[in-house]
Amino acid sequence: MAVLSKEEIGQEEVEKFYQFCKKSIDMEVASYLEACVRCGICAEACLFYMGENVSGRIDPTLTPAYKADLLREIYKENYTLLGRLKKLFGFGVKIKPEELKEQARLAFYTCTNCDRCTKACPMGIDTPRLVSIVRGALTHAGLTPKDLADATNLSVEKGSPLGVDTQTFLQRLEFISDEYEVNIPIDRKPSEYLYIPSSIELMKFPSSVASAAKVLNRAGVSWSMSTVAHEATNFGLFAQSREVTREMLRRVLQGAKDLGVKYIIAPECGHAYQSMRFIAPNVFPEEWDFEVLNIVELIDRMLTEGRLRLKGKVLKETATLHDSCQIGRRGGVLREPRRILKELAEDFRDSVLIPEHNICCGGGGGVLVIGDADYYRQKAFISKMTLFDKTKARTVVCYCANCMLALTKSSQELKRDYRFVSMVELVAEALEEET
Amino acid sequence: MTDVAFYDFVRGPLLRFALFVFFLGIAYRFFRVLFLGLPPDYAKPKGNPYLMAVKKIVIKPTMGWTFNEIFSRRAINFIGGFLFHLGFIGLTFFVPAHALLWKEITGIPFPVLPNIVSDILAYAALGSLIALTMHRALNPVLKLLTGKDEYFANFLIAMILFTGLLATRWAGGGSYIWLLSLHMFLADLLILYIPFSRLSHFVYYFLSVGFMGWNAGKRGVSF
Ligand code: SF4
Ligand code: SF4
Repeated sequence: MAVLSKEEIGQEEVEKFYQFCKKSIDMEVASYLEACVRCGICAEACLFYMGENVSGRIDPTLTPAYKADLLREIYKENYTLLGRLKKLFGFGVKIKPEELKEQARLAFYTCTNCDRCTKACPMGIDTPRLVSIVRGALTHAGLTPKDLADATNLSVEKGSPLGVDTQTFLQRLEFISDEYEVNIPIDRKPSEYLYIPSSIELMKFPSSVASAAKVLNRAGVSWSMSTVAHEATNFGLFAQSREVTREMLRRVLQGAKDLGVKYIIAPECGHAYQSMRFIAPNVFPEEWDFEVLNIVELIDRMLTEGRLRLKGKVLKETATLHDSCQIGRRGGVLREPRRILKELAEDFRDSVLIPEHNICCGGGGGVLVIGDADYYRQKAFISKMTLFDKTKARTVVCYCANCMLALTKSSQELKRDYRFVSMVELVAEALEEET
Repeated sequence: MTDVAFYDFVRGPLLRFALFVFFLGIAYRFFRVLFLGLPPDYAKPKGNPYLMAVKKIVIKPTMGWTFNEIFSRRAINFIGGFLFHLGFIGLTFFVPAHALLWKEITGIPFPVLPNIVSDILAYAALGSLIALTMHRALNPVLKLLTGKDEYFANFLIAMILFTGLLATRWAGGGSYIWLLSLHMFLADLLILYIPFSRLSHFVYYFLSVGFMGWNAGKRGVSF
């Protein structure tokens, strides 16, 4: 199952790439590939292109439409009459090994699957869907970027991309319980809710995990964490490896089944929510019988139902909201965080008029872990900064740990003084004041 | 009488042939994509995918302005594109001479635009087409994305608009029938060319925007 990161690219890799692309075409994909009118509007929506542009350089290859162009060529020569004729007469697509390197740059370094271009495109073309196919094809050919491949393999071997195995998991939870004085049930049977953290939270933002536990305890639900399903993030989606995606989801399924839960609570992690809410039901159509909620969704629900009460606004300074693309624009949890933040912040200023228009952190889709993509991530952060600065807020509330990590990193690298805080943590803080 | 013979040819058999190829080609392209099928989706939708798909198809063309910063940087695309499409559709079907022709072919009476409106549409379409083409040639992103297809299509459509204006407004007199025949000949070419080019994007619009709406409905987002 291991995802490879070959150095040498030969004809075999090219062939594998080609065949994967060819097989990935369905009605939806073909519609997108056919519909592009080459207007280039999507470029202005893409944070990578914008970031370069703001700093005075124009790199047209960062245009979303261009990122799918090789796939488009492959589609044409296999599915259209003219394309087939061209191929017959020897004018078909000839992929040179170096071109696959360029494809890796386009698909893995300069696209976070954020979906913003889809919203701006007059033809509604879902570029992230197309980029995912290119990623899948590269992974199939063994050409996943090294850093990403390593983290992906680690998640299969040890259970998490940060190498958190069950033992480390238990140790961390013990530490969190002690440090933050919170009760965390583990493998409690039966439970109604299963909360699965991401290892980024566990290792880098432990207070997020503690806060989620506090919230769940206060809401009075029967919940538990699981030693089987202890990682919510799914790196299989970053690498677009079906096997890894499936394996990571299988563990979640197993853990949830063992505890007999009805609800699975995804943490502050974009791809975790995406994989469990929208992908798992298709991977395990027979067995997946859970309602998946994001923790923010759950909090909003509990607040509306009156099962959680907040006392006062804990955030005094001017604050804005950063949306996680996979939970928000691609997950439909956009109104919830805004409702919650209005309860939490005295001066909440949204940086966008329409929540679906928010800009990605620049590190999603695995871009953050790929060292070679740092340059692009920093450039993307410049686009993000323009939105922050528009609101004049220095405090930014996030609901994805990966976003928070990426934003913090880019912000430090570019010497900015934004403060990033987790929404769940704020909620927990507001709860504490109640007693 | 070669002029009349040519006129009759481009207006009669050639037009019919072009339309025949057009419909066949477009149907082929549409159904070819449709028959690729879709994998089933078992994830419970958060909103109403079908309703959203229809809604998007109806309102998407008017939503460009909501992305105000993109709109301001690409005003030429949005405004030019809008005017061009408006002009193109208006002129193709509702100019008196064209409405008459379509009635002859389909038997259905077409509403007719007043002359002043068709004039405005024609100038708007021609002007925006020229602006859009220049934009294509100069903007680095568009330079990368544009192929011969786009330039050929733009040139052909510009020539059709130009000869149409030439025949009815600017020249007239002795060369009228030749200009008109040329205008129609080029239009026949365009009709023939559409199914072989990206100009057939109008059929895929329904699919791709439909899918975008479907996905938005599935995910429970409203935009
Ligand atoms: S905005 Fe859409 S139609 Fe225009 S170039 Fe980009 S993907 Fe193609
Ligand atoms: S999905 Fe986001 S990052 Fe990827 S091409 Fe589109 S706008 Fe750019």
